[in-house]
Amino acid sequence: MAINVDTVYKTVLLILNKEQRGYMTPQEFNSIGTQVQLEIFEKYFEDLNQDLRIPQTDIDYSDRVENLDEKIAIFKTFGEAVPATSGSLRYFNLPSQDAYGNFVLFYRLGSVVYTDVYGRQVELDRLQRNEYYNIQTSALTASTKAFPTYLYENQKIFVSPSTIIDSIGVNYIRKPLNVIWGFNVGGRGQYIYDANVYNGAVSPPTGSIDFELHVSEQTKVITRVLLYAGVVINDPQIIQIAAQQVQAEQINSKS
Amino acid sequence: MAFPNGGLITETNRQYYAGSQGFQVETLAQTSFTFTFDTNLALGSPLSWDPAVPEYALNNFKLYQSSDGGIEFLEVITEYNLIGNTIEFPELAPIPYGDVIVCQLKMIDGGAYGDRDAFGNIVEENYGSYAYIKLNDIINNFEVAYVGAGKLIPSIKRTDIIFHAKRGLQEFSYDTLKSIKSQELTIPPSLSLAIPQDYVNYVKMSWIDAQGVKHIIYPTTLTSNPTQTPTQDNLGVPIQSNFDDNIEGTSITDERWRTQNNGIIANNLNFVQALNGGYYYGYGNGYGYYGERYGLDPQYANVNGSFTINEREGKFSFSSDLVGSLIILEYISDGLAYELDTKVPKLAEEAMYAHILHSIIATRSGQPEYLVQRLKKESFAKLRNAKIRLSNIKIEEITQVMRGKSKWIKH
Repeated sequence: MAINVDTVYKTVLLILNKEQRGYMTPQEFNSIGTQVQLEIFEKYFEDLNQDLRIPQTDIDYSDRVENLDEKIAIFKTFGEAVPATSGSLRYFNLPSQDAYGNFVLFYRLGSVVYTDVYGRQVELDRLQRNEYYNIQTSALTASTKAFPTYLYENQKIFVSPSTIIDSIGVNYIRKPLNVIWGFNVGGRGQYIYDANVYNGAVSPPTGSIDFELHVSEQTKVITRVLLYAGVVINDPQIIQIAAQQVQAEQINSKS
Repeated sequence: MAFPNGGLITETNRQYYAGSQGFQVETLAQTSFTFTFDTNLALGSPLSWDPAVPEYALNNFKLYQSSDGGIEFLEVITEYNLIGNTIEFPELAPIPYGDVIVCQLKMIDGGAYGDRDAFGNIVEENYGSYAYIKLNDIINNFEVAYVGAGKLIPSIKRTDIIFHAKRGLQEFSYDTLKSIKSQELTIPPSLSLAIPQDYVNYVKMSWIDAQGVKHIIYPTTLTSNPTQTPTQDNLGVPIQSNFDDNIEGTSITDERWRTQNNGIIANNLNFVQALNGGYYYGYGNGYGYYGERYGLDPQYANVNGSFTINEREGKFSFSSDLVGSLIILEYISDGLAYELDTKVPKLAEEAMYAHILHSIIATRSGQPEYLVQRLKKESFAKLRNAKIRLSNIKIEEITQVMRGKSKWIKH
């Protein structure tokens, strides 16, 4: 369940237009909306790190880690890494298409898994280059097919032992799609919302893309868009109110 | 009849005891059969379905087919692929409807299908495996139970766990786990035997008499095997070769020991030897006339022979009276030599978790000392517990041993 882009846009306009403060064009909204979405999205990972260090309650709906995971889960996906070689170098490229057949933009690498011929899945241990050399030189810890490892460099996965040449699965976070409030121009030059699914294959593109964030983020999205809108229309009052709202939300979520 | 249903047992009775699993083709024709033994199926080579290929002998199973509903079986010697534990026949040569396909792991009696010639010991190797847990499983279990947010170890590299688990297995192998390694060997005329490949230390060396009874062979301290035997010149200086290293000769000490008469050392002289004066060279206080040897040193007074460890040659050297003897060498390894070895008795599973946990916490910075000490005590207590369990002390067996102890101890 995503946040309807039209709802956000119209709410923002409603607040902005009160007392004839100003107006935000769809193009401005789309840019700001995308910016806000990414801002909130990136913050999830910092919040998760903080929340993991705090004991949580296991009562339904109140576990912050679980709630956050629910928000991140929207962007979790997986796919098969693509084996490649360059001279004697053997590595795996990150998947450009996930297991559902969607072309997605890679955002953050999660666990990397090797599936052996018997169908057993083993998670690979991620190493840094300095650890890698030490670990490989110790007979006790050298990578084996039962305990494989990998380096993640230059957006490529280098798997050890080198006898693993395929069947590397990657769990990762994809990047949220850019927000688009699509429109048609009406008879009086007004913008009419295009609720169709976005189609970028035609020119000009048609349809809209909603905010992909969890529906519970709607108020956060609106206040943050308003914050930027205040900058766009140069209204300090809007900026101040929105900033206060954002701060209040943050204090509440961290307390 | 119990079937695998999500418990720790994953094989049917037939898979475990008879080493076989069969399928009857219930579709029109079937090309793919997946077997679910605990033992992975293995072909010597991709083409070793063919008995004419030398690697055929390395297969750990035989495949049989019956076209009469399972009454008579013939070995499948047509082409198939093995992918994991799935056998795939070519699309053009599927197994027809109604036929039965049976996979027989190799076993000592050859199995129960076809010519009953699936000889090997794959099935027997799996017997008793329920008493053990694989090291991989220990590591996986540890990660699940001891690592994560809100636990003593919030995060850790898997390689760290692997290291401590393997080190733990090595240490456990030395003094806690049962010594399950032994070799039956015959002592050749050279009187020396190579140290086993996965040897760490010996437990016991015994020779076997005609009744199959073991007689312990003790190591001797009367001689030792030099680790270097440099050849010397007239001044006693070692001579070097063209490559600037000392020239090594054979050991004269070894040679003398090899040719000595063990009866002299053991004071076990027969009448003729005694008449020949052999007793004058006896050890301990065995000097004097026949029948008048006093103060015999018991450590040398046995007829079982002796051995030394020749580090220079990497061999066990035996006394000459043991030539041709059948011996059993019991030894310990470190449990990591082969993949098959990397298993831990379930009786020591908890001790292994405690060992890994303590090792990890003890090597981390910033850990409170009381925690380290608590885990250390816990680890030690569980190890001791495991040792007691593995000692296999049974009250009836102790009672039986003690029954003989009321006899007078004779000197």
